[in-house]
Amino acid sequence: MTALTVTESATRKGHPAGARRRSPYPAWFFLPAAIIYGVLFLAPTFASLYFSLTRWTLFNSVFIGLENFVQFFREPFLVQGLVNTVIYAVITSGLKVMLGMLLALLLTSNIIARGYLRSVVFFPVLVSTVGVGITFTVLMHPTQGMINEGLALLGIDGPGWLTDPRLALISVALVDVWKGVGLATVIYIAGLVAIPKDYYEAARIDGATRWQNFWYVTLPLSRPATATVIILSFIGGLRTFDLIWAMTRGGPGFASDTVASVIYKQYQAGFYGLSTAGNVVLFVLIAVLVVPLTMFLNRKQGHE
Amino acid sequence: MSKAGPIVGGIAAIVISALVFLVPFAFIILTAFKDRAQAAALDFTWPASFNLWTNLVEVVTTRNWMLVTAFINSTILTVSSVTLLVVFAAMVGFILARRKSRWNPLVEFLILAGLMIPPAVVPTIWLMQGLGLFGKLHGLVLIEVAYNLPFSIILYRAFIATIPRELDEAAIIDGARPLDVFFRVILPLLWPVTVTNIVVQSVGIFNDFTNPLYYLPGNQNATVQLTLYNFQSQFNTSYNLLFTNILLITIPPLIVFLFFNRQIVAGMTAGAVKG
Amino acid sequence: MAGLDLKDLRKNYGTVEVIKGVDLSIDHGEFVVFVGPSGCGKSTLLRMIAGLEEITGGELWIGDRLCNTVEPRDRGIAMVFQNYALYPHMTVYDNVGFGLKLAKTPKAERDRRIREAARILQMEHLLQRKPSQLSGGQRQRVAIGRAIVRQPEVFLFDEPLSNLDAALRVETRMEIAKLHQDLGTTMVYVTHDQVEAMTLADKIVVLDRGVVQQVGSPIELYQRPANLFVAGFIGSPKMNLLPATVDAVEGDIVRVSSRDLAATAIRARSDGLKKGDSITLGVRPHALVPNQNGNVVGQVALVERLGNETNVSVRLPGGTPLMVVLDGDRALRLGESIILGFDPAQALLFDQSGVAREPL
Ligand SMILES: Nc1ncnc2c1ncn2[C@@H]1O[C@H](COP(=O)(O)OP(=O)(O)O)[C@@H](O)[C@H]1O
Ligand SMILES: [Mg+2]
Repeated sequence: MTALTVTESATRKGHPAGARRRSPYPAWFFLPAAIIYGVLFLAPTFASLYFSLTRWTLFNSVFIGLENFVQFFREPFLVQGLVNTVIYAVITSGLKVMLGMLLALLLTSNIIARGYLRSVVFFPVLVSTVGVGITFTVLMHPTQGMINEGLALLGIDGPGWLTDPRLALISVALVDVWKGVGLATVIYIAGLVAIPKDYYEAARIDGATRWQNFWYVTLPLSRPATATVIILSFIGGLRTFDLIWAMTRGGPGFASDTVASVIYKQYQAGFYGLSTAGNVVLFVLIAVLVVPLTMFLNRKQGHE
Repeated sequence: MSKAGPIVGGIAAIVISALVFLVPFAFIILTAFKDRAQAAALDFTWPASFNLWTNLVEVVTTRNWMLVTAFINSTILTVSSVTLLVVFAAMVGFILARRKSRWNPLVEFLILAGLMIPPAVVPTIWLMQGLGLFGKLHGLVLIEVAYNLPFSIILYRAFIATIPRELDEAAIIDGARPLDVFFRVILPLLWPVTVTNIVVQSVGIFNDFTNPLYYLPGNQNATVQLTLYNFQSQFNTSYNLLFTNILLITIPPLIVFLFFNRQIVAGMTAGAVKG
Repeated sequence: MAGLDLKDLRKNYGTVEVIKGVDLSIDHGEFVVFVGPSGCGKSTLLRMIAGLEEITGGELWIGDRLCNTVEPRDRGIAMVFQNYALYPHMTVYDNVGFGLKLAKTPKAERDRRIREAARILQMEHLLQRKPSQLSGGQRQRVAIGRAIVRQPEVFLFDEPLSNLDAALRVETRMEIAKLHQDLGTTMVYVTHDQVEAMTLADKIVVLDRGVVQQVGSPIELYQRPANLFVAGFIGSPKMNLLPATVDAVEGDIVRVSSRDLAATAIRARSDGLKKGDSITLGVRPHALVPNQNGNVVGQVALVERLGNETNVSVRLPGGTPLMVVLDGDRALRLGESIILGFDPAQALLFDQSGVAREPL
């Protein structure tokens, strides 16, 4: 047997005994991703901590301490944006959890036309948010809109969905749920089908009713899905911008402004420091709400 | 257990779902067929005359064929950023799954942070201006890559962990260098999850409105979602054209939906079961 | 021409030492088997030779090269894995040729070598298939083919038969033995199965907890195990180990006895032994025969009749179980009393530290 050709390229002198060979999993594989992520995401995030403390024209910045934040919490319309953001996130994630679970239960039962129903519920997830927003703005038109015309047929005098300041935010949130509930549903379906059948059989032998089945088997065992749905839609709700922008631009007045739309408006108006402060506020808001929420939802199941 | 239950329930579900989920789409389609006057009524009625073709021509040619430019821009944006995402995220997922190091917790933290933290918009614009990336399509490509990396990495890492390490080792003994191991052995095996990645990220990036709005201003640069936004003010009263435009930009996701429904659902529900 | 020299080879995972200084010399063309219980470090040692594990200390010489830090591809080795590790997305042809392709071997040469390997392993008809279309045995064949085309100086096998069913295992074992004959290359083979070790090896290396217990030919290990561990590990069924006491030491004759064992005189290395010492007497199940004058008496507890031989479990008065393999078919009754004897030359003594007291 002849010597292997590749061995000839190897060094004859042999390496010093202590030298390390290169890892087959080199760390530089991280590099392209790390550079892009570091430069375009991390660096601006850190920079925002400084620029939120300045009056800023993009060309020069003047350090003004916490003035932007003070303004943020003093201006009523900015505070309202903050409150709206939380309301919006709570409504959308709450409804998505409930409706998602309900739809998932329906769509995993032996109902007819399951495939059709799953598709119909899921498709809006893939459609352009702005397109959906514009469509529903039209459908929610107070006098000509299809929704109120439909209600009129039933003898109900429909409200000004997007024109009534008390209702605008909730209307947008409902459209958000319409568009996003399909995602919650498929996540729940994945969670439900992963529950081993044994549990239901054991429960049936124990004489559990349907309701007990749901309460003591389905609900606790689909908790990972619930956690995912809540966290995803809660973060999404807190960050939401495009739907609100497409439907109300934060109006009427500031009735449906959220922090994200405030950030955009301040940016447009050239208040870069204030806009960035808005970013930091949103960042803190998410951290303060989502981190404990995540820990709560993913806590070790003890007594259940 | 009666047989009638599922059928009655099913019919009720079909009717309700059609009312809630299909009527809005039907409305888009009907309005796209109408002429300007009829569309302005915003009614859910049958078109009096079929004007889809004229509407299409008008939408496409308006503002110096802006929609065509926008479709080209969106296609370039989507294809380039998804390509980079696939390669770079798979590389990170590969090392993350294979090499235990004390950096891993930091990397994982950054991934979670990326999923959670809203991007700091103005500082990003400032930085991109400094780098000459602001208002450039390739700048937006890099932005989409940066913002969507965490999700792709998570998908890849979970999948790579299921590929036996002996495969890498066999390749190493066969003389493969790290790049060979990755590109000739691992990456081909990631195909199923790559398809998922491609479809999920394509839909997201194609539909993205916020980032082009911030980082790619100007009509010349418009992506399809922005044409909608620009058109909305221009055609404030020409709803037929607005909805023709909406119809047009809904077609790509519809195609993806028809062909890759399973992969999308798989990608979007990944992690739901194990939490 | 390449043998292997391992000099005080060590491996740590963090603070845990897994290979604790292995010295071993393997000649060119030898078939060496590492054997030992699961977790003893066989795979780790093999993978250090392959270059898949970093060497913490000591020296690894392949041929006349110090290979501690040489890349695996430059060591002149090829490896066959337990779970085959075939590239699922490539055909058999491409699997076998992958290494050659990476080495930029010309296409014609590559094709020739792939077909040559396929011919040796009689798998020409499988070349266009994907691994998923192959049976376990065929997959292992492809994995071996992939090793052959590299024309390595050393073949490394890590439990290549463990995933095969019993019949296929015997068949493939024989093919590997034949391959070694035909190629004449150095082969290092890891297994936890002592039958594989006995049948394949020119030289067996018994490992336990990262330490070499004994190196030798299969027969040496069977007849003269160096310590209790090797004695218990090599041979099937296991060697019987009876606790006993030294009654007297007379030159190289040691007299021992116990509740289970009438006084017996055994030739052994007796230095340091004295009357009253505890000692272990080892006797193989095959060495025991029914004998009215024998020195072991017990009751039949279990009988397995295999036709050509009979395995008998005997309960001794002291409670120690004793395994006996008798030639031919014996119809023994359970509970029957049985008297057994053995040739003292076939018995071994192990002192309290477990070291064999072989006669000099
Ligand atoms: N990557 C690792 N990190 C820590 N310990 C390891 C690692 N790989 C193997 N070990 C330990 O080293 C010992 C030897 O393992 P191995 O060589 O695989 O044994 P075997 O003889 O069964 O092939 C085992 O106790 C195992 O737990
Ligand atoms: Mg092993």
